Amino acid sequence: MITVSPQNILDSQNKLDLANMSPEQKALDIHNLNLFYGEKQALQNITMAIPKGQVTAFIGPSGCGKSTLLRCINRMNDLVDSCHIEGEINLHGQNIYDKHVDVAALRRKVGMVFQRPNPFPKSIYENVIYGLRIMGENNRRVLDEAVENSLKAAALWNEVKDRLHDSALGLSGGQQQRLVIARAIAIEPEVLLLDEPTSALDPISTLTIEELINDLKQQFTVVIVTHNMQQAARVSDQTAFMYMGDLIEYSDTNTLFTTPVKKKTEDYITGRYG
Amino acid sequence: MNNWFKSGSPWIWLSAGGVSISLISVVGLLYLIASHGLSYFWPSTLYQFDMIDQQGKPHTVIGEIYDREKIPVKQLAHMDLALGDQEYLERYLVKTGNRELVSLDFRWILVPEIKKTSTPKDLVVIERRTNGNFYGFIESLHLDGEQVSLDKMDELLARVTVFQSEIERLQKSDIGAINYQIERLRLQERKYRLQEKLTPEKEQEIKAKVAALRDDYLVLEKELMALRAKVARDHIKVRAMDGQVVTINFEHILKVEANNQYSFLEKLATFFSKIGSFIVDDPREANTEGGVFPAIFGTVLMVLLMTVIVSPLGVVAAIYLHEYAGNNALTKLLRIAVINLAGVPSIVYGVFGLGFFVYMVGGSLDQLFYPETLPSPTFGTPGVLWSALTLAILTLPVVIVSTEEGLARIPSAMRHGSLALGATKAETLWRIILPIASPAIMTGIILAIARAAGEVAPLMLVGVVKMAPNLPLDGNFPFLHLDRKFMHLGFHIYDVGFQSPNVEAARPLVYATALLLVTIIVALNMTAVSIRNRLREKYRMLEH
Repeated sequence: MITVSPQNILDSQNKLDLANMSPEQKALDIHNLNLFYGEKQALQNITMAIPKGQVTAFIGPSGCGKSTLLRCINRMNDLVDSCHIEGEINLHGQNIYDKHVDVAALRRKVGMVFQRPNPFPKSIYENVIYGLRIMGENNRRVLDEAVENSLKAAALWNEVKDRLHDSALGLSGGQQQRLVIARAIAIEPEVLLLDEPTSALDPISTLTIEELINDLKQQFTVVIVTHNMQQAARVSDQTAFMYMGDLIEYSDTNTLFTTPVKKKTEDYITGRYG
Repeated sequence: MNNWFKSGSPWIWLSAGGVSISLISVVGLLYLIASHGLSYFWPSTLYQFDMIDQQGKPHTVIGEIYDREKIPVKQLAHMDLALGDQEYLERYLVKTGNRELVSLDFRWILVPEIKKTSTPKDLVVIERRTNGNFYGFIESLHLDGEQVSLDKMDELLARVTVFQSEIERLQKSDIGAINYQIERLRLQERKYRLQEKLTPEKEQEIKAKVAALRDDYLVLEKELMALRAKVARDHIKVRAMDGQVVTINFEHILKVEANNQYSFLEKLATFFSKIGSFIVDDPREANTEGGVFPAIFGTVLMVLLMTVIVSPLGVVAAIYLHEYAGNNALTKLLRIAVINLAGVPSIVYGVFGLGFFVYMVGGSLDQLFYPETLPSPTFGTPGVLWSALTLAILTLPVVIVSTEEGLARIPSAMRHGSLALGATKAETLWRIILPIASPAIMTGIILAIARAAGEVAPLMLVGVVKMAPNLPLDGNFPFLHLDRKFMHLGFHIYDVGFQSPNVEAARPLVYATALLLVTIIVALNMTAVSIRNRLREKYRMLEH
């Protein structure tokens, strides 16, 4: 059985009514989202609101569409040629799939961390300020400050402060993943998407990252995809369970793991399939 | 047996054999070129052969042995020799020089006719500016008509060398610059005339300038004459092999060497000084003597120009094909076309370069920008720019293919990482993709250099000449003269080896030039390889 952290039990006492949030409480509002890879429909009519300043987890068996949904939020699916999307995702009341949305600007507001750490073959310093450089920031002091703040926020500062100008490829896998998180938060996004951020890491690095996620929600809205239910239970405030492209159940984490409403959810979290 | 096959050892043996054969051929090739080429510079022994010919007349042959071979007696039957029952005869090829006395530098002598072989210490070889080497014994040395001791030889030679280099400098840079300026003024006048802007004032101004330059020229010419007179002051008298005494003026002499007196170390010093002058000197005597500096310069300049042209072009084309072009039939067709371009014979590129670059582009450029020089063409004639462009087209497929492969090898995580940080596709390309792909791009450039530096056939149509009067780079504005024709080591080999009037004399030069060409290509390649290795180290991908 899944254990829910005391923190989450505490949270659930003043829990949000996910179906009826005020516009200020919503970070993202997904509405009737359908996604097709060629002929095949991968997401079916997803409607959900993701609350601001909290951690929302997507869980579900492999191929259920949880990563696809995540990648819709910063339009990474645009890179797939055969991908076709209907419906809308609203950020500040603005549909991000609108024709005149600047995708690069959107991605600055919605950062993303991938399954495998992907630092650039540059120095640690240059990795962190990559986004700032793209935005045209060249002031040395601003950059130095951003590096220190982001690395501290990503709990990496103490380990790398003496070798900021060494190659990022010399770091361990867990350090690389935290560097990538530092890189993502250096441009101060509003939403941070984490796509199975610990699946390529060892248990100790996983723990560090999970602790980090807890701190990050002070500043950012975090959406995390994980195939690890314990992890979802440990780190998230809300959990959405997806199955075969459908959003089956979406509620606060405590409720979803202790008293699931749907049969499929119960089967999944009790390990009957998946 | 079956087990032996299963173990895989036959395949290991086969692969190892393949590697060995490749290695042996490469080493063999280098050894052949190096041994033949370098022996050209080694001061060889000077022989005196006292001989008696068939008629019983004694005579003497002096020279260096170039080659020796055994030939069947039958082949010499017409000479009616009385040599007994031998089946084979040995004969030497001797370089006898002395072109003013005998028309041929070389002669074959039959070993049985030699009565006595000696290596007299006072035998010298005189390297001259014209008429090739002279072999003989120095009789006397004359300073301004007065006979002086032979010990003064080195001193007088050194004096002449100083004056000669002064003359060369005067002729090449000072007088050359004046001629160049006069020519430019003439063209300027003609340009004004063509544009009907030639006012009397302008005409006067140009005339005044030309007159001033002419005055400068006369001063320099006087200086030159004075120097020439100084150089021609002394002479030596040399006795040739047939006893004739020949007077050689110092103005023709480059070096006097008594090879038979030299110790090993002295020979070594001569060897290296000869290699040095081979590299830095201009060719003489229809390229069969002297150095190859203009050819080295032309080859390197042309390859560098080609690299500067082909690298951006190839990289940009590869980026378009790989990153922007849609993945459809047309792109596939383009890619196949590019790969097939690499298989087109190089002479075809030469024809294309001549027709398109030289006649069409160059001709139009002349019409537009250099009407004053017409009908003599400026860019509408083969030149170093057209050669570089033609070779750039020839090597383009190589750069495109390797750059595309490099781009394809970059993990998509790198692109996604950059895009997810709000970079556009172009920013991602510029900041992430291209740096990571740079080793692959360098590989393409290395292959392009290797191919271009060895290419001769197309160049014969678009810019290479046997003898270029000026280097394409000099002290006259605009310094880099892309319209000039140039010399090339590859063509030099062909020219010296197969087009020269004196093929025997040229053979060692062919090997020496080939060795130099190989050395230069290897040097260019090694530079590119070391740059690539540094880039590779920098953008090394961690294996996940």
